Amino acid sequence: MSRIRTFGRIILALLRELGDENAYARHLATHQRPHSRDEWQRFSDERMRAKYARAKCC
Amino acid sequence: MPSFLSRLVWAGIAILGAFCLGGIAINRGEPVNSMWLVVASVCTYLIGFRFYAKFIASKVMLLDDNRATPAERLRNGHDFEPTNKWIVFGHHFAAIAGPGPLVGPTLAAQFGYLPGTLWIIIGAVLGGAIQDYIILWASMRRDGKSLGQMAREEIGRVGGFTALLTVLLIMIILLAVVALVVVNALKGSPWGTFTIAATMPIAVFMGLYLRFWRPGRVLEISVIGFLLVMSSIFAGEWVAHSSTWAPYFTLSGIALAFAVIVYGFFASALPVWLLLAPRDYLSTFVKLGVVLMLGIGILFVRPTLQMPAFTQFIDGTGPIFAGKIFPFCFITIACGAISGFHSLISSGTTPKMISKEWHAWPVGYGSMLLESFVAIMAIIAACVLDPGVYFAVNSPAGIVGSSAEAAVKTITSWGFPVTVDQMAALSKSVGESTLFYRTGGAPSLALGMAHIFAAGGGGQAILGFWYHFAIMFEALFILTVIDAGTRVGRFMLQDLLGQLYKPLGRTSWMPGVIGSSAAIVLSWGYFLYQGVVDPLGGINSLWPLFGIANQLLAIIALCVGTTILVKMHRTKYMWITCMPLVWLIMVTFTAAWQKIFDPAPRIGFLAAASQLEGAMTAGKIGAAKIADTQTLIFNNRLDAVVCGVFLVLVTTILIDSILLWIGLLKGTRDSRTCESPFVMSQLKAEEI
Repeated sequence: MSRIRTFGRIILALLRELGDENAYARHLATHQRPHSRDEWQRFSDERMRAKYARAKCC
Repeated sequence: MPSFLSRLVWAGIAILGAFCLGGIAINRGEPVNSMWLVVASVCTYLIGFRFYAKFIASKVMLLDDNRATPAERLRNGHDFEPTNKWIVFGHHFAAIAGPGPLVGPTLAAQFGYLPGTLWIIIGAVLGGAIQDYIILWASMRRDGKSLGQMAREEIGRVGGFTALLTVLLIMIILLAVVALVVVNALKGSPWGTFTIAATMPIAVFMGLYLRFWRPGRVLEISVIGFLLVMSSIFAGEWVAHSSTWAPYFTLSGIALAFAVIVYGFFASALPVWLLLAPRDYLSTFVKLGVVLMLGIGILFVRPTLQMPAFTQFIDGTGPIFAGKIFPFCFITIACGAISGFHSLISSGTTPKMISKEWHAWPVGYGSMLLESFVAIMAIIAACVLDPGVYFAVNSPAGIVGSSAEAAVKTITSWGFPVTVDQMAALSKSVGESTLFYRTGGAPSLALGMAHIFAAGGGGQAILGFWYHFAIMFEALFILTVIDAGTRVGRFMLQDLLGQLYKPLGRTSWMPGVIGSSAAIVLSWGYFLYQGVVDPLGGINSLWPLFGIANQLLAIIALCVGTTILVKMHRTKYMWITCMPLVWLIMVTFTAAWQKIFDPAPRIGFLAAASQLEGAMTAGKIGAAKIADTQTLIFNNRLDAVVCGVFLVLVTTILIDSILLWIGLLKGTRDSRTCESPFVMSQLKAEEI
């Protein structure tokens, strides 16, 4: 049962990583700021600038 | 597990893998169940992963968990972040898995199921996974540097510049060919066109939701977006049957090509958060979900392959693309066996997330094996179709004849019986007006996937839904590749032009942004248009060009990897990178030479141009078609020049590298590498 729970946690963490939610949580923790619309916009602008400067694979 | 038992298990896996490989290789004339391919590939991957990759990790790369990775040393909470290895694995796999491993194997199925299957398995274990693994390790030891930076630092300035230029040219061909796949899948299909058109307002809604209404809730809006896209598939069926709406979404190839070109321009110039990013999130989740579904579907249904092991088209007369099994099978399947593009991902985000050096083993090598398995699933999906249907869908009118009757007559004469009624019934069951001449691979792959999904539940009654679900899945991430690729191409072009005129290099200077976006879009748009108007369907000329370009990039990556091994005094292990390198040189240079100079007009670009020119001179071309023929002649010559430019660029890097290796071995060249100094890792197990 605990293995299934661990597996589920990893899958959820993977989805959150792919959806940049983990990166946003790290951003808030690093800068010690609370979540807000402005903060998300600041984070996503910076994140996407770097993310979409790289090619997507074929 | 006790050592003896462990050895027994591994011996069992090796024997089972060899038995299945032997089984599919020797079997002729009898239908083969797809499980033979699944077991053969999985056993080979396990052996390659456990023994070959581990040997490389411990003896060649000298992976060391005590050495701090860039994720730990340069941790900044953004790019550089130590991450759980399975999360990095999933992240890396999602990044390397694109349309290539699905479309390439589908096209190569024209040779039969065996050549493609063997190349996918062997190519991945000994070539593709090695390239990804070595480049990931090299980048990890160099603070996460890109392939271009490593080429410049390890090989020299010429190598670095050539790598940048090669990547830019490859991007242009890649974008054109994947756009052609989408255009061919959607032409004349109101259901498919409506579904894909609907993804654009859905993505914009997702972008606004995420930006203003529920900031940061990516998973939440992705679920909503997915439900909306599924609804659009159902709505698409209604649109296709509506006499009012269907004509608006029934577009010709040329109209769709222009729509994709205009879309590419706006998508690359619009703010990323509005369209590109939300659709990227959605397409990533859908991609992983569908790959998982297909895997489960194949295991559950265990379909039988209808395609023979070999077809007569190994002699080079294939209707989908011309050229003999060597070298064309090996360039048609790039992603799934070995793809140079992966080296850009392995030297991108992934090395900045790895928390312990040994994680490169499952991430670098293991992810490529999983992608290879996706390619195996694609070849199974293509080969479960009746071969007559497969060729009717994938063959262009220029080869099989421009009427349904002529097409089935030609295909049946090849020994693959198919009837007009059979094709009409199939078209009706998937909600299409026709399935003839749907070149590009996507429709036949969607048909194969739909058959597998429908056999898993729902049967023929929901075949149309699954077909359009598969088309939506393919088009969704192909369009994401197009807009992201156009944006990246724009950055690269601005980077190059900025050296001539500084403002052109600024990504915030609007004339530069618009001008460079337009230049990139027009470049791939031209090749796309050329593919759409090509009487041979476009895939015949563009896919080999893309395959050659992609594998040439792999040559550059393997040159960088070999250079690093030589500089690290690991010369006795050079064979690890040189083996796939030598193979790729033989394959790509032969293919490129044949594509330029082969006397057969369906293979050689110059021969095709000469044939058309001869026909024009002899007065065999009607006055109305003179202008079109002149364009075709120019296009063929342009393709020959592009192919030649690729060869010159890669030959430059190859010669530069070989001279460096000789100098290093003789001791006349500086053998210092740009590896970061050793720093002891302080990362605790609970932190990852």
